[in-house]
Amino acid sequence: MSAPEPVVRLRTLLTSRRSSWLLALLLGAVTLLCAITLLALSGWFISAAALAGLASAAAYGFDYFRPAAIIRLCAIGRTAGRYAERLTSHYAALGLLKDLRVKTFNALANSRSGHHSADTLQRLVADIDLLDQLPLKVIAPWLWALSLSALLLLFWYLLAPALLYSAGLPLLLALFVPLLTFKRATKLAAHETSAAALRRTLLLEPLTMLPALLIWQRWQDKTRQFSAQDQHCLELQRQQQQLSSRCALLQQSILALSLLLLLWQGAQLLAAQALTVPLLLAAALALWALYEVMLPLCQSFIALGMSLAARNRLNQLAKRTVQSQSGKPEPESVLTLTAIQLSARQNGALYGPDNVSFTLQSGSVLLISGASGSGKTTLLQALANQLAVTGTLQLNGLPYSEWQLGQTLGYLSQQADIFDLTLAQNLRLGAPDASDAQLWQVLKDTALHDWAQNQPQQLDTVLGEYGAAVSGGQARRIALARLLLTNRPVLLLDEPFAGLDPDTTQQVLQALLQRQRNGILVIVSHQRLDIPQAQLLQLH
Amino acid sequence: MATKARKTTLSSSNPANAQLMQLLRPEQPKLFAALALAVAACLLFILQSYLLSVLFARWLTDSQLSAISTTDAVALLTTVLPWLALCLLGRPLLQYGREQLSLRASQQVRLNLRATLLDKLAQAGPGKSRYGSDGSLSSAVLEQVDALDGFISRYYVQRYLVLITPLLLVTATFFYSPLAAVILLITAPLVPVFMILLGNAAAAASQRQLQKLSRMSGRFLDLVRGMPTLQQLQATERASATVANAAGHYRDSSMQVLKLAFLSTAVLEFFSALAIALLALYLGLGLLGILPWAKGEIPVAYQGALFILLLAPEFYAPLRQLGTDYHAKAQAEAAISELTPVLHSQSWQHPGTQQLTLQSAPQLSVEQLQISGDDNRQRLAPLSFSVAAGSRVALQGPSGTGKSSLLHALLGFVPYQGSIMVNQHPLLQLERNHWQQQLGYMAQHSSIAAASIVDNLRLAAPTASDQQLIDILQQVELWPLVRQLPLGLETQLGERGLGLSGGQLQRLALAQLLLQDTKLWLLDEPTAHLDGATAYRLHQLIGKLSQGKSLIIVSHQLHGLDWLDQVVKLPAPSASLNESSQHVSA
Repeated sequence: MSAPEPVVRLRTLLTSRRSSWLLALLLGAVTLLCAITLLALSGWFISAAALAGLASAAAYGFDYFRPAAIIRLCAIGRTAGRYAERLTSHYAALGLLKDLRVKTFNALANSRSGHHSADTLQRLVADIDLLDQLPLKVIAPWLWALSLSALLLLFWYLLAPALLYSAGLPLLLALFVPLLTFKRATKLAAHETSAAALRRTLLLEPLTMLPALLIWQRWQDKTRQFSAQDQHCLELQRQQQQLSSRCALLQQSILALSLLLLLWQGAQLLAAQALTVPLLLAAALALWALYEVMLPLCQSFIALGMSLAARNRLNQLAKRTVQSQSGKPEPESVLTLTAIQLSARQNGALYGPDNVSFTLQSGSVLLISGASGSGKTTLLQALANQLAVTGTLQLNGLPYSEWQLGQTLGYLSQQADIFDLTLAQNLRLGAPDASDAQLWQVLKDTALHDWAQNQPQQLDTVLGEYGAAVSGGQARRIALARLLLTNRPVLLLDEPFAGLDPDTTQQVLQALLQRQRNGILVIVSHQRLDIPQAQLLQLH
Repeated sequence: MATKARKTTLSSSNPANAQLMQLLRPEQPKLFAALALAVAACLLFILQSYLLSVLFARWLTDSQLSAISTTDAVALLTTVLPWLALCLLGRPLLQYGREQLSLRASQQVRLNLRATLLDKLAQAGPGKSRYGSDGSLSSAVLEQVDALDGFISRYYVQRYLVLITPLLLVTATFFYSPLAAVILLITAPLVPVFMILLGNAAAAASQRQLQKLSRMSGRFLDLVRGMPTLQQLQATERASATVANAAGHYRDSSMQVLKLAFLSTAVLEFFSALAIALLALYLGLGLLGILPWAKGEIPVAYQGALFILLLAPEFYAPLRQLGTDYHAKAQAEAAISELTPVLHSQSWQHPGTQQLTLQSAPQLSVEQLQISGDDNRQRLAPLSFSVAAGSRVALQGPSGTGKSSLLHALLGFVPYQGSIMVNQHPLLQLERNHWQQQLGYMAQHSSIAAASIVDNLRLAAPTASDQQLIDILQQVELWPLVRQLPLGLETQLGERGLGLSGGQLQRLALAQLLLQDTKLWLLDEPTAHLDGATAYRLHQLIGKLSQGKSLIIVSHQLHGLDWLDQVVKLPAPSASLNESSQHVSA
């Protein structure tokens, strides 16, 4: 098996929608430039006007049209630019999130998942949401801050190199102060992400077993545990906020120092007549306006940490990828299933079926019985190609691993999953193209016909989470009906008749035998079933 | 007067808002302290702008009259610079304090709200499913409560600042130029008007988005839980399409919310930029003395003009900030109205207050008991039976006849018509918690957590010793298996008890039941998944252990239940309540 491909790479987050991102970055830079220019130019304009006004003769020659036009242009540019930038970048980000959701789900579909589903849900919904922070809160602010700081430094240099030498260093310092938070921010983010996942588990599990916990008077304990974890999460969030607030405090102080140095140096230059007052004011106001651009940098590494943590957890999902079966042949419709000296174990189990041998041809039935814990389910899972086995397990004379078995084996597990969809949608998961008539037929075969007829919505009855609106026995038969619709040549059924009275059991069994007359049928059951032609296998 | 204006313009008096305010009340002192810090920061800003304008005005006049001497410039700086430094450093410090206070307030509110929600869900018991799946409930308790953060930590203070800051700045401006103050005042009220128009639309869109988010996370959990089944059915591609669909809807609704949110910011941005540009032109042309209505006059001197220009951006800043936070407000209102069904649930509360301690096995009598679901589907057709003290009864009937609902009613979770009497006391008069401590219940879905075997058993009996646990496991015939496991009692089980077979799980659940020494047992198909021999033995075991207890067992098979005193057959329910009168009991 080759090393699995990571589901998410930070690089692809940006390359997949490159033109949208570039446009957004450009629009953002223009917007910020407009904002800074607006303030600096306005300051220069009134100072220059005041100078001209004082030397009253010059006032009539003062060209105020051009600066006034630029000021208006900047005002409009700032507004329109910000709106367009935000729409572009968020559209790109949300599109990216959609792709990520589907990608992650597919990666999950291709893996043997032994994860908590509470945990998985956290990953799918929350972690993916965190990934849009990378472009929006890390890359864009840094690009903007870097480019605008460079422009400001250039502006100062053009006015008077001395300004650059005195105030430039603290400006650069303020720009790079957020780098100090990198290590702690990423660490805090990793803690926070895993703490939030634990918090969700601590909430979801008690919720699923709420009635029992209430009766045992243990609900309070569980909610206390959850609240403690909730508090821990909030404390981590507080530390994050504190980190960025402190960074902002330091950064603003250094920027203040830069402004003071600028004024100090400016005073010398004014005295030396190397600079005019309006231009010094423009230099100072441009710095003032840059505060706004610098501030988001303090939160950028927390956002980066969140994205990294989310990415790592998402990528863990795809670690155990199922070996691809494509390229292998599918077995012919006439089948021989052979087990020789077969042994299998559940993950970590000590017991399991040992040295089981049998041969089944198309049309034959195998009944497996045995005491609880004797390994009936384990054997069935082995036959369903879900467990590694020792001994020989062959289909048409070749080991399982040589075949593509997705369309051949049909396995009904003890825990039948009924989805929060309508009855018809649940059934059509087995056969998307099945007609209503086919659905009614299979419902009849599984003794669900009368029940479904009596539902006000009939086939459109919504079954609810874990099939809450149906009883355990009905859920199991709906799962059976769904499996029957797939028309698999080999059916492996674990306790299909649990919860059925003998008459109904007989009725469903006859329908099963009829449907599977040309295939192989293996049934694990604790009920005594009357099937004359069946082979019997008793596990001990 | 200011308060009244705020109420009429900024906060629509909708129920969601009132509810948010109620949640915030305990944390108001912190939030007002945060507000005080913000106001102080605003005053420092005015001082800072004043100092800068004085500095530059002096430089300008000096440079005009004669060359500035270095000593003059330095002397000026040494008097102004310390104050300027104080302002420049003081503002971030005050901001820091404000953030900390607001965050603490927000965290406290969210913590309390989560506790309230969990209490409400506990009151609903098995009926919690009416508020949504476990997945969407967990997203309500986590994400939707967190969606209040922006409202508490930013919007609440901001909606006061949005009045106080501009008023302070306008007052300072008025001192220098009444006309400039008027320009600011005229543009300012337009902003809230636009904001409300856009904000209401944003609130509706935001609510839709939260519903989509919750639906999407419910769908995810559902599909991910059933992933093995989907893989087996080769239906993962179809499921993936469902996921893509849900994610697509989520994106579309998010975009709608953002479009509106950004539009409201853009409007504010526009006003702010326009006013700064207008002011700069007015002041600049005024300084040149070429204003059409005041030719040759200088209406505002340079120092005042610069001061006003520096104040102007800050005049709109709180409004712009409020525009951003307005969408936090819309989000919070949407979240709180999503939470309202749970928060305000008058979910059926067991009314009783009487504590009935069962000294011995109780006697139960059920008269004309009827239960109907929320959707008016009849769950249990009228039924009467009685259980004598210490007698053991099975309930039988076709699937869907309401056997589980009957047990829920006996547990005190579900309202019913007719009567249930315990030792001649109506069940409805008993205090539910106390009543539930008196009985043992085994549900259809086993109550096994993803924890070790010993932790699962101690869920039911926290104080049981290891030896007691081993004894119990021996009684349910699990000990031989558990003993052989490398970690024994400490063996970890996966989600839904993964690692044990269906039969072993049910026996572990039975062990939980046995650990509670109660006089009344309610069992919901305890042997549905066990093989005949084990079911027989377990039924016999239940018979042995339940001697002297009153017991109701729902079971399909009577194999091994020869110790029962009575079997009650349940009638099939009619399709709807309307037809119930025509129903003929079997």
